[in-house]
Amino acid sequence: MPDVQSLVNDFVNQLKTRKIEGSQATAKQTAEFLRSVISQQRVPHTNQAAALINAVRDVGEQLIAANPVELAVGNIVRRVLHIIREEDHSLTTAAVAGLGLTAASDDENDVDRDDHPVLSAAVVAAAARSTLRPPSLQTLLEDMPDSTAIPPPSSSGGESEGKSRSVDKGSIGRKLKHDVIEAVNELIQDIATCYDQIAEQAVEHIHQNEVILTLGSSKTVLEFLCAAKEKKRSFKVIVSEGAPRYQGHLLAKELAARGLQTTLITDSAIFAMISRVNMVIVGAHAVMANGGVIAPVGLNMVALAAQRHAVPFVVLAGSHKLCPLYPHNPEVLLNELRSPSELLDFGEFSDCMDSASGAGSLHVVNPTFDYVPPKFVSLFITDTGGHNPSYMYKLIADYYSADDLVVKRRALTGN
Amino acid sequence: MEISAYYETKTAHFGVVSTDWLAQAQSATSIPNPTLSSPIPIQHNKPFSVIDEFNTWRNQPHLAEAVAAIRALAAVIRSSQATTMMELEIELKKASDSLKSWDTTSISLTAGCDLFMRYVTRTSALEYEDFNSAKSRLIERAEKFGEISYKARKVIAMLSQDFIFDGCTILVHGFSRVVLEVLKLAAQNKKLFRVFCTEGRPDRTGLRLSNELAKLDVPVKIVIDSAVAYSMDEVDMVFVGADGVVESGGIINMMGTYQTALVAKSMNKPVYVAAESYKFARLYPLDQKDLAPALRPVDFGVPIPSKVEVECSARDYTPPQYLTLLFTDLGVLTPSVVSDELIQLYL
Repeated sequence: MPDVQSLVNDFVNQLKTRKIEGSQATAKQTAEFLRSVISQQRVPHTNQAAALINAVRDVGEQLIAANPVELAVGNIVRRVLHIIREEDHSLTTAAVAGLGLTAASDDENDVDRDDHPVLSAAVVAAAARSTLRPPSLQTLLEDMPDSTAIPPPSSSGGESEGKSRSVDKGSIGRKLKHDVIEAVNELIQDIATCYDQIAEQAVEHIHQNEVILTLGSSKTVLEFLCAAKEKKRSFKVIVSEGAPRYQGHLLAKELAARGLQTTLITDSAIFAMISRVNMVIVGAHAVMANGGVIAPVGLNMVALAAQRHAVPFVVLAGSHKLCPLYPHNPEVLLNELRSPSELLDFGEFSDCMDSASGAGSLHVVNPTFDYVPPKFVSLFITDTGGHNPSYMYKLIADYYSADDLVVKRRALTGN
Repeated sequence: MEISAYYETKTAHFGVVSTDWLAQAQSATSIPNPTLSSPIPIQHNKPFSVIDEFNTWRNQPHLAEAVAAIRALAAVIRSSQATTMMELEIELKKASDSLKSWDTTSISLTAGCDLFMRYVTRTSALEYEDFNSAKSRLIERAEKFGEISYKARKVIAMLSQDFIFDGCTILVHGFSRVVLEVLKLAAQNKKLFRVFCTEGRPDRTGLRLSNELAKLDVPVKIVIDSAVAYSMDEVDMVFVGADGVVESGGIINMMGTYQTALVAKSMNKPVYVAAESYKFARLYPLDQKDLAPALRPVDFGVPIPSKVEVECSARDYTPPQYLTLLFTDLGVLTPSVVSDELIQLYL
């Protein structure tokens, strides 16, 4: 498929050159891109889910490798893989139920059938279910089906019923792709509306006459604060400017324009101001499986200040920011170093920056992200509600399949 | 002093090096080597006892205790005369209770029995089958459990590889098969790391672990137990196994784990626990004294006056706030996940 590959290359280039920025935009475009990959993927008659999964995984590996720091790409790839597995599973169970008890001795249980003549449909269903669920104590002793439990095309199917079943499978196939695209559309919709769903909860958290502190600029935070304002809450906002990009300036301007009482401070004034703050509300770049947060640089300082003065530290994050990896992986902790031009103007300090000689010259380092450990976070607000940091793993288990966690690792070893 | 059965198993499996043991080894005639005895098929003339069965399995050095427990329960099913599921369940319950009360100190024995009982009563796979096939299915699953346990160790070793980075120093307390497996795989993957083993008085587990690691050409250093805080500065992470993982997410492990974790926490070093999920136990100890103490002999080399008391407990409880992550065959978990898993299983 030459056209798909060229599309992939285009998208990879955009990611590599950081043309697409911000986790929400990246997530949305990745999802849209994967949708077009799925719709262009020609699916064989048998084992359609596996074909789709392989296609998405191949593309996903390239996308993740293009910008490993933007975790939203990997999250969306895994979400789409999970969607395919889920849709396939719901179709096969529907088929099994439809075929009834007589046909329940499906192909995958050929071996079992020999010793247990009457194998119940419940066993088949249980086996199918356990492939989707993450491993748990409950299923530890149960017959672990192989990871390829998606029933392979029947090679030894019964004579009379084999025909009807193959017809069934054909229709399942066409339906599968349709259902998957439908579900991906829903995902794109979810990403687009996550601001609203988070902002809806604002009044529960912001009370009258409170003082809120935030750092830098995040669209989620802006919507959140404005939603509280619209519900006639009056409160003050302290915005820390967020050096070196000074996005806090933009946020402060925007908030003031909407009639919120806003104070702008420098980042170094956070400790001085924190004692009069009731709550810190910030956005995140990504939320890791242990509840740690990858956030714009400077936030760890805010978290420490909040901790010192026992001020609640609330993180807003759409579900596309939930990452199933643990931050101890070095490649996850990899920080992005941006251009030093954000710190210094061209020509400034040029006498100490002798690039020709190298030694002893001035270095300018401009990291983008901070890691805030979970113990500093009081509450996460996602589109599904408020959650404790120690509960994040549970949300993540809902969104991703255990089999897909390794997409990234495979991509890295492949390179 | 009464020595707990839990400790006896440990001694048999890990060949604890003590002067007592050396003396016994010299006059070896009296003690049959437990590692040589293989499980004897049940003789029908002799009344079947689940405890004997358990002991024959327990003495196999490569088998975990929970596996031995489940194998013993499978033997109960095999020798049972029951004709209905209900009868079988009652029989199993009796057997598991007698096993549990035979050795109250072993957590993985209790956890293993509970897990299997839960499987028998809960599993939906048995609902529609006739009694005999259900019975053979149970036996088959129980016999596969050894494999599950072996596979669990492999999975844990694989999961923890991401956390061992080149140039790191790992402090290990106690001898754990899982931790050894983790380090073995890391060495195989050509990771560059060094290991500090605590001595592990009075069992000297560290000597044994350092022995094994030296065989793998991993740089290893033994530190005496009291030097944990002294050497923590150089350490990047602490790795421990567990005898049992309790509902709070804390662990019960060899004496000294608690203080190691405390020191690590105060110096901001991560503490990783490697434990198979069948060690999750329905216990909620609030403090150290909540546990039935597993007693062991402590050899000081010199006679101790009879008026002097000696603390003989073999293990302690480490609360969850001192642990960073648990590596289990269910995945990498934060301590709070443990209670979730247990509730899912038992509620």
